[in-house]
Amino acid sequence: MKMKMDNRLIGLAAVLAACALPFVITDEYAIRVLNVFFIYSVVALSINLIVGFCGQLDMGRAAFMGLGAYWSAILAVRFHVPFLVAFLTAGIFAGLVGAVLGFLCRKSSFDYLTLITIGFNVVCQVVFLNWIPVTNGAMGIPKVPAPSFFGFAFDSNFRFYYLALGFLVACYILIGRITKSKLGRAFEAIRDDAIAASYSGINTQKYKILNFAIGSVFTGLAGALLVHYTQYASPFNYTLDESVYQLQMAILGGLGSLPGSLLGTLILVVAPEVSRSFYEYRLVFVGFMMVIMMIYWPNGLLGKAGVGEKLIGIVRFRKKEPEEAGR
Amino acid sequence: MESGANMFLQHLINGLSIGSIYALIAMGYNMVYGILELLNFAHGDVYAVGCFAALGLLTMGVHPALALLAGIIVGFVINLFVEKFAYRPVRYSGRVTPTITAVGIAYIMRNAILKIWGPETFAFDIGVRGSNLQIGGIIIGTLQIYILLIAVTCMVGITLYLKKTKTGQGIIAISQSIPTAALMGVPVNRTISIVYGIGGALGVIGGILFCVYYDSIFIGIGFALGTIKAWMASIIGGVGSLKGAVMGAIMLGLMESMVSGYVSTLYKDAIVWLLLIAFVLIKPQGLFPAQVAEKI
Repeated sequence: MKMKMDNRLIGLAAVLAACALPFVITDEYAIRVLNVFFIYSVVALSINLIVGFCGQLDMGRAAFMGLGAYWSAILAVRFHVPFLVAFLTAGIFAGLVGAVLGFLCRKSSFDYLTLITIGFNVVCQVVFLNWIPVTNGAMGIPKVPAPSFFGFAFDSNFRFYYLALGFLVACYILIGRITKSKLGRAFEAIRDDAIAASYSGINTQKYKILNFAIGSVFTGLAGALLVHYTQYASPFNYTLDESVYQLQMAILGGLGSLPGSLLGTLILVVAPEVSRSFYEYRLVFVGFMMVIMMIYWPNGLLGKAGVGEKLIGIVRFRKKEPEEAGR
Repeated sequence: MESGANMFLQHLINGLSIGSIYALIAMGYNMVYGILELLNFAHGDVYAVGCFAALGLLTMGVHPALALLAGIIVGFVINLFVEKFAYRPVRYSGRVTPTITAVGIAYIMRNAILKIWGPETFAFDIGVRGSNLQIGGIIIGTLQIYILLIAVTCMVGITLYLKKTKTGQGIIAISQSIPTAALMGVPVNRTISIVYGIGGALGVIGGILFCVYYDSIFIGIGFALGTIKAWMASIIGGVGSLKGAVMGAIMLGLMESMVSGYVSTLYKDAIVWLLLIAFVLIKPQGLFPAQVAEKI
């Protein structure tokens, strides 16, 4: 119980610190990077929900970002729908598509699921690129309006910062609640052993579909928010490479750890911006990191027995905990 | 009517030649896939390095045959190293972990190519530019015949290697059960290294044929045109069986050529993927699954 309070206090402190940050860092560019970081964090969290908690190796998340983004952009630009409606329906739309994909994959094992998600990503990208009447093809959709609520427009980096931060906090709390609920425990049971889960009365197919749908809602929302921020929907932003890079954010931080997803995203979003030469070598860096991490800390920075726990172990002597069964 | 039939035959031949290139790439991929159940995301990028090395030597004026041989050796050696440092330590730690190290290796290889050669498309000319044979209105490039011949030779060679040599039998034993093979005295680590090496070498051969066929080389031959196609072929044909990889690859080639010929070139990739997804949902074992009893 004490631990729980601790975590909440840390979370609250982090949010307050984040609120105060724009007054300290006044550099527009830094704020912009942070805004992107907040949005990608939600994507990483949704990936964590699917890959980390339910064990379904989904490599097509960028497709859902794209679906959300295009839905919202098209509604806002062509039909002048208010931001809030476009944004929220984008989440619902992505969630429905996720449910359909989950329904198709409900019986698929590891390899096939991964292959199907990759295929889905390729299909979506081809459609974005070639369905010119709707998506405007390679030109993309420019001039997507900035987000605004009831006449208040989040049109500067500074204003958007608080919207993105609020979005991240809301999604973080929601996903945190989901993972601690009956639903989250069912996901973890499926991840650990699908057959055992089904014998414990968990309808694995239903929960897999739910998992895909819920994860996709968050990914779609993040994609929609990002497109209103950058104000431009381009078909080249939702490629398979992008999906794999997003997957690394969740893996680096630690699958199954929500703060880990934030840390992983922070590293992979901020590091390429910090130095141009890093950007050139970012694939080598990411590649070595993935190999070394997987060999020494397969659960990521903040996952079980990861670097985080080792550091905490060094800082304070813990009482010996009983070994967890079955892990 | 006559020209319709000719058209069909033309697409058939194009599909066969592209399919046999995929077959070479898929064979190496599927051997690894069958033995270790590893989704080898690095396969394409490793052989791309081999192909680029061959390109480098070609532009330096080395004789094409030597350059190609060097490329094949590069692919072989890189895969040996990759196996030793990235796959062996995580061989027994689940499915997700090795998949991720493989993606890591793919990134490293891709960055190396980008750093040394850059993202441009290069001409790839090894001086084999034969004439076209015209048989009853159908054009068959001599190149296509060479490609088919090389592909068939490699397939026959690998099959004989697996059936007739001791190492080949070791590979088959390991693909059925690693612990049992180890108990029977098969050197597990060495054999698996060899499998990776052969996979890399076959990949380079396929990759080079690919470049020759399209007259050009660019970074995308690794991942999008290599790994993913090899994987699709393996899934269609059946995981872990050589015959499956070859048949799956040829079907994939035919499918692509027919779709772009009769349906739509723009949506070719999307349609082929949708067909594949439908296929996976209907027949997840593939057409020719490896004949190994599976624990249920």
